[in-house]
Amino acid sequence: MERIRGGQSGPRAGWSRRSVLRTSALAAPALTVPALLSGCGAPPADAAGNVLRVSQTGDPKTMDPHKQGDMTSMNALINIFDTLTTLGRDNTLLPRLALSWKAVEPTVWRFELRRGVTFHNGEPFDAQAVRFSIKRLLDPATKSPIVELRYVEDVSVVDRYTVDLHTSVHDPILPAKLSLFGGVVVPPHYLDKVGDEGFAAHPVGSGPFAFRSWQRDHELRLRAYADHWQGRPHVDELVFVPAPNSSSALAALQSGGVDIVAGMTPDAAQQLAGYPGVTIGHHTGVRTSYLSLDTLSAGPLRDRRVRQAINHAVDVPLLIKAVLGGNATEVPAMIPRGAFGFDEAVKPYVRSAAKARALLAEAGHPDGISTSLTASNIDANVAEAISGLLAQAGVHAKVNLLDPGTYAQRLTSDNHGALGPMYLAASTVWTLDGESMLQSNVRSDRRQSRWHDRRADKLVDAEELSVDPAVRRRAFSGLQQLIKDEAPFVSLYQIDNIYVQNTRPSWTPGAAGILDMASAKVAV
Amino acid sequence: MSESLTLPAGSAGTAEAPGRRLVAVLRPAAARLGTAVLVLLCTATVVFFLVRLSGDPVKVMLPPDATAQQENVLRHSLGLDKSLFSQYLDYLWGLPRFDFGDSLFYNQPVRQVLADRIPATLLLAAGAFVVTLLIALPAGTIAAMRRGKPADRGVITAVLVGQSTPPFWIGILLILVFAVGLHALPASGYGTFAHLVLPSVTLSVYSVAVVARLLRSSLIDVLGSDHIRTARARGLGPVRTVLRHGMRNASLPVVTVVGLEVGSLLGGAILTEQVFSWPGVGQLTVQAIANRDFPLVQGTVLLFAATFVVVNLLVDLSYGLLDPRVRNSR
Repeated sequence: MERIRGGQSGPRAGWSRRSVLRTSALAAPALTVPALLSGCGAPPADAAGNVLRVSQTGDPKTMDPHKQGDMTSMNALINIFDTLTTLGRDNTLLPRLALSWKAVEPTVWRFELRRGVTFHNGEPFDAQAVRFSIKRLLDPATKSPIVELRYVEDVSVVDRYTVDLHTSVHDPILPAKLSLFGGVVVPPHYLDKVGDEGFAAHPVGSGPFAFRSWQRDHELRLRAYADHWQGRPHVDELVFVPAPNSSSALAALQSGGVDIVAGMTPDAAQQLAGYPGVTIGHHTGVRTSYLSLDTLSAGPLRDRRVRQAINHAVDVPLLIKAVLGGNATEVPAMIPRGAFGFDEAVKPYVRSAAKARALLAEAGHPDGISTSLTASNIDANVAEAISGLLAQAGVHAKVNLLDPGTYAQRLTSDNHGALGPMYLAASTVWTLDGESMLQSNVRSDRRQSRWHDRRADKLVDAEELSVDPAVRRRAFSGLQQLIKDEAPFVSLYQIDNIYVQNTRPSWTPGAAGILDMASAKVAV
Repeated sequence: MSESLTLPAGSAGTAEAPGRRLVAVLRPAAARLGTAVLVLLCTATVVFFLVRLSGDPVKVMLPPDATAQQENVLRHSLGLDKSLFSQYLDYLWGLPRFDFGDSLFYNQPVRQVLADRIPATLLLAAGAFVVTLLIALPAGTIAAMRRGKPADRGVITAVLVGQSTPPFWIGILLILVFAVGLHALPASGYGTFAHLVLPSVTLSVYSVAVVARLLRSSLIDVLGSDHIRTARARGLGPVRTVLRHGMRNASLPVVTVVGLEVGSLLGGAILTEQVFSWPGVGQLTVQAIANRDFPLVQGTVLLFAATFVVVNLLVDLSYGLLDPRVRNSR
């Protein structure tokens, strides 16, 4: 920029320099004042009164339940919309909008529906609404990220309160898949009237709370729906606010701006321990972490003894204690406790560096092996700790951290070696059925499978396609034993759902960690 | 500016007719406007291709257990299976109509997603701007008047620290002290005046340093000049001299830089908004990148670029209006 020297003023025609300067100097504050004033809007509603304020780590993606597939969005939407089935606090599948269901043929599930249910706009709920909802989810034009209903081919209305779901193969856990993302029912007439955009701007469901207002990344306000078929919820108003980091969550909790903080990581929750009026609740969850080992590519991991050695080396109880503050439960063989198919009889590996070294020596690696461990950078702490545990047994695993987007892309690529010989992964088994945990990483033809074993493929077919629960349970037991013996994975833990709260609310969460707040009360 | 734009008439120092002066401003202005459009077009192109190097958004949008077929269906419905070139043409075709496509993540037109977030960022930038002026103007003036004295050295040191400290770190420190430690202000969020304080201060640190330093140096220049000595000789006190005579001449470069800082305030909002979870365009940009939301990343980057270009343009043009020597040197 040119330096200006001396004070020769220019001619005084038209705009003089002085007047320009004066005007601009005045204009700057003048422009900012209205903006500042608009910023001092009404303060957030105080926490007093029959209002429950819940914070999670993010904001919902959209208010259209068919256009989201993430827990953050679902946690809010499950309060506005009803699903056909629901998972009870005892992990059993319970009726919701569907009263009962049975497989009338291997590829037809029939649902008898609840009568007298209305949407928030008064529109009645019936089989037509179910048909419309599932058809809308499956329509490619909807661009739905929900994948659970991949086997559903058609929906037919039997009578006003009976509906059939037709599948391409027998899907034994279809009713469980209708307890969350896949089972949301939306009002057809309202949607026809307002269109997709109008619906996302002002959603109408049949759930315990009706939509009131939403300011993105600031707050979502819902009000109790008095005519809900289960009766009116206990709180008058339910508010969701995003608090992406623990310091903001703590500040919000202590100022009374928030009553419950959900979705906290164990280390973040520990930061809040000991503050007066703050209690931390731990509940065994179903998000299950594991290491996937590449048994297909050339390298030491093709040898079962090396894989077993790695299983002996990763001291899961120590990992849980040291890195997760004790907020997790060891998983012996991929299927978490609480999910259908979990077999108590399959015990976890004995953790021992000496055993691991012996097995490595037996496999021809007396000096240990060098490998790599890939993880999403969200899981950096756990990955580094596992690498440390492995090193003690002579397995030198270099940690590669990827941004979540790149990690997801490589995880689902057709190249099974894209994430290297070992990667850390996790899956939320919200259907509470073992199938969800094993559907994409065991059977030889699945995209994340790095272990080709005919016995495993047969067992997967048995648990995925059998109608008889006893047959399925046996198949799961066989799978868990086989996974332990062949060690294509290192099963790690199911992490607790952690809720930090002040003294006002009382609420019991379920295993899947969904924030369904109809049963919650607050001390007014 | 190129020679072809040199004005034949009006040598320096002679009074011009207002009309001719207007032409003198407008012709280069038209050329600048052309340059600005070209810059935006280049930005749009670079962003379009760069963002596509980051990977496949479908992989991020669908859960890991989605089948290849489900991915293909979604890819098709998002138009991501078209050739890169035809996607590029579609995108360029929409730009003049302010149609940036639909956000993949929010399922809404990018235009609308941006419109929802712009007010928060403007508010934050305005807050930071006010803080900048409130701190930088007195600091720069005092430093210039007390040149070489402890007060001056203090300002210079503070400026150096302010310019070399990353804003997100300042933000985290402020949260620790004022929100977690003293419970005086909210740590994050949006909606009340109290929420605005910490992010505004964080965002303004760099601008305060820039503006204070520049004001100091240009005031020092001006204070050495003849008419200031004359004013002092007439018995005006030092403070009044500076405010009445010094400021007027020193403010020209400062106004320029303040203008440019408004642009960087909007850009600097990315980190600050992230730290304070401020629901503005900056936070949106970071989320859009993480979600590989191509259309939205394109939209936010273009918005930032357009802001910079427009601010630069205005500063350039106003400079021509303000200073005859700039005008006549063309």
